[in-house]
Amino acid sequence: METILEVQGLVKHFPLPGSRAKVQAVNNISFCISKGETLALVGESGSGKTTVGRCVLGLLEATAGSIRFRGGEMGKRRHVRTPELRGRLQLVFQEPAEALDPRMRIGESIEEPLRAVNLPAAERGKRVAEVVDRVGLTMEILDQYPLTLSAGQQQRVGIARAIITKPELIVLDEPTSALDPTARAEIIDLLLRLQQESGSAYLFISHDLSAVRYISRRIAVMYLGMIIEQGDAAEVFRTPRHPYSIGLLSSVLLPDPSLRRLTSISLRGEIPSPINLPKGCYLTSRCPFADDRCRREMPPAEDLGGNHVVRCFKHQEVAETERAADTFEEFQRTAERILSV
Amino acid sequence: MNIIRYIGKRLLFIVPQLIGIVLVCFILVKAIPGDPATLMLGPMASDESISRLRRELGLEKPLPVQFLIYIENLTRGDMGKSWQTTKPVFDDLLLRLPATLELITFGLLGALLIGIPLGVMSAYRKRGIISKVADYYGLFAGALPDFWLALVLILFFYTILGLAPSPIGRLDLTVIAPAQVTGFLTVDCLIAGNWRAFRSAAAHLVLPVLTLALVNAGPILKMTLSSMDRMLSAHFSVYEELCGLPRLMIVRNAFRNALPSVITIVSVLYGYLLGGAVLVEIVFSWGGAGQYAVQGVLNSDFNPVLGFVLFSSVFSLFVYLAVDLIYLVIDPRIRG
Amino acid sequence: MEDAILEVEDLHVTYHVYGKEPVKALRGLDFEIKPGDILGLVGESGSGKTTLARSIMGLVPAPGRIERGRILFDGEDLTAKSREAMQSIRGRDLTMVVPNPRAELNPLVPVGRQVANVARVHLGLSKAQANRAALEMLQAVKISDPERRFHTYPHELSGGMAQRVVIAMALVCSPKFIISDDATSGLDVTVQAQVLELLNRLVSEKRTAMLYITRDVGVTAHFCDRLAIIYDGQIVETAKTAELIEYPMHPYTLMLMAAFSQNPRLRSMWTKAGSRIASEAGRQGCPFAPRCVRAEPRCYQDSVALRELRPGHLVRCHIPVTR
Repeated sequence: METILEVQGLVKHFPLPGSRAKVQAVNNISFCISKGETLALVGESGSGKTTVGRCVLGLLEATAGSIRFRGGEMGKRRHVRTPELRGRLQLVFQEPAEALDPRMRIGESIEEPLRAVNLPAAERGKRVAEVVDRVGLTMEILDQYPLTLSAGQQQRVGIARAIITKPELIVLDEPTSALDPTARAEIIDLLLRLQQESGSAYLFISHDLSAVRYISRRIAVMYLGMIIEQGDAAEVFRTPRHPYSIGLLSSVLLPDPSLRRLTSISLRGEIPSPINLPKGCYLTSRCPFADDRCRREMPPAEDLGGNHVVRCFKHQEVAETERAADTFEEFQRTAERILSV
Repeated sequence: MNIIRYIGKRLLFIVPQLIGIVLVCFILVKAIPGDPATLMLGPMASDESISRLRRELGLEKPLPVQFLIYIENLTRGDMGKSWQTTKPVFDDLLLRLPATLELITFGLLGALLIGIPLGVMSAYRKRGIISKVADYYGLFAGALPDFWLALVLILFFYTILGLAPSPIGRLDLTVIAPAQVTGFLTVDCLIAGNWRAFRSAAAHLVLPVLTLALVNAGPILKMTLSSMDRMLSAHFSVYEELCGLPRLMIVRNAFRNALPSVITIVSVLYGYLLGGAVLVEIVFSWGGAGQYAVQGVLNSDFNPVLGFVLFSSVFSLFVYLAVDLIYLVIDPRIRG
Repeated sequence: MEDAILEVEDLHVTYHVYGKEPVKALRGLDFEIKPGDILGLVGESGSGKTTLARSIMGLVPAPGRIERGRILFDGEDLTAKSREAMQSIRGRDLTMVVPNPRAELNPLVPVGRQVANVARVHLGLSKAQANRAALEMLQAVKISDPERRFHTYPHELSGGMAQRVVIAMALVCSPKFIISDDATSGLDVTVQAQVLELLNRLVSEKRTAMLYITRDVGVTAHFCDRLAIIYDGQIVETAKTAELIEYPMHPYTLMLMAAFSQNPRLRSMWTKAGSRIASEAGRQGCPFAPRCVRAEPRCYQDSVALRELRPGHLVRCHIPVTR
């Protein structure tokens, strides 16, 4: 499978006004995405995942590192799109209501990206109709204003707007967080279907682990600007090897009181400030396995085989204490039982 | 500390701002049509005397040099002479500015005393009588011309009731002014211990201050009301209600949050009133700076006008600086 | 059998919007909560959850009005109480925890003082006593470095920490009842887990009762004793948590659970394509009928009452799912 996006050593630091300190949002991130694949960036607030998404799209200029799209370096003047790149990368936002201009009709919002791509007017109208149909909306919606739509419908419009230029890579920044559970499920289904039809790759940024488990083939877990574990989604969910991943996965609550990822690992303590990151591994203040070596050195990325990469000196110990369990898989069986009537 | 750096940076900024103001004033000077020398000497002057005056005034030199001369003169306090009063403009202004400042300071204080409580109480009880009164008052205050109100007040309180002193200036004709320390007559009288003069000065202040207060309370009232409305419907006020805090406390907290907007409008009014009080000054023969500048305009006497422009710009500058510092004190988010 | 601390009887709340049809937000709500119990109320946007929360607190959002019904708190009807009486109950015996805590705290007052204020107003403590109580509370909610954090401002805190402050404010007067209105939805998963654990402990220590309102049925399964599913202003199903999760009977409940499933076949079994239809005032029949995969003609015509179909398990449906 050909690689369409390759990120190497990405660093993004935000200078704090009025002082010499910097917010170290993204610290040395590397990953790649193949054609038609979904990579999920998972993490909590402050993990830097949104910043990574913005850097990939060129909305923010990276402090260091390289971002190659289809082999070509993205270039420094990121906020100015070169003509070849226009329309090939797209973005779906988190808050659908805020992402749409409240004074523009839906039809205009959806058509807007086509203006940058120099399509003749007749062709534009056809594309809009096509895209509205693909996201499951009706043509009446084109004349309405965002205010009259539900959140689920607004998000569909956001997706329509993103796919209209037939992009090869779509960055989705928390697309389901603002939605109700049923709307969430519908949007995820829609995204999967669109991906099968069009072959676009997704960079799916989210803290919603259910959605992530469903939609992604590969997953990268971020903590304070670093990818601490990445691999195939099923593998990472079943046998996480980094204490933070385990802490994250065990906090997920599914609708079955008996299903809880049992772990002896608990993450107590304070998250270090992104302005003043420690020298060694960033999790040491909260990790029950941490020792002096962890505090001194940053663990390198270690390949555990089968694309499963983890940054932890202690992953062997972790493997020994943790029982392999994928609560999401188990819940599928429960759901099958309860919902099949 | 962050605050000291902030103040230092702001003070540093004043220098280029001042230079900017001076530059604009200079351009205004030069933009006046006609030859200054001719204007000064009158239509009967001979060509020879005109060209001699031009050389004296340095009008033959290139513009940048003239600018430097202008700045140099300013630092020496030389803003030219007013040909009406035949005195240096700087001295004239120094005499008149305190009169205006005293008037507008008390006037603004009065406006605050009327506007803020009305605004707060209207927001507190949206359907009460006070709210209705405040509504109409806000409307009227905006529509009232201040000189008209002044004349009405004089008619009522002086002519009819005989309560107020005659509107011919800051003091009774028979009272001697005390030594000038601050320029504020009331303060100077108190310093000198001169009770008779104090009573006279205060009495003469009543009507003009009342005029300014009544008119300017309008915008203050409106700003207070709209700010309070916004703060009372903000999430944190609703939450305080959810916690069962008494309404008085909620309103007080909302007021603290509304304060920055009110302070902003007060600072704008303050800067404006330095010249904007001119009509009131004229009605009460106050002898203030605005009056002086207006007479300059009417009689093509440019130096007073320009001197006034410079002074009032600098005044506004320092008012805004003070306001920024006040924000620093009351809003912790700026400090952070 | 202990008496319920909160009893909602046939509550009807309607919004009268100028120039439009009145919107019925709550249409005959009935439930009760006993001391020490946690009732999870699950519903999506527009179901009326926030209206219910605010109505119980006596602050129905304008332009809403309570048309009918009673809210009995500790035996007394809250709908009949004066404003002053409600103000003394709120924050002391009956408190609320809200989402987006940083927007809900006063930006100009240090957080410790805000907690102390609540204690002072309701418990009549002196300033020093209230500050002490606030400090203890900040410790109890596991805010690290509480003495220093006492003086910080809301904008300086992280979301999780601000939420703990809000919880401290809700608990400082040892209330009998807490309402959590979607309070953990904006939080990170690990922070949410910690906050829930904290609430659970504090609630069981003091035998406080709790109404936990949420959109996420997953969380409630682990946290609540009983569940109630609300749709369009009515409770459509309620039972003990384990019972409801194992034997859901209302099609809407099944639709909510299917949303968590990753099996598209299961999802389409319970979800009807198309968008939600807004509630109208004089509509007959079951409100869920337009979206229900099992709807029959009588569902559109006849309204349904809550019926007990299994022990302790009530459902409002003409054709409930049985096994």
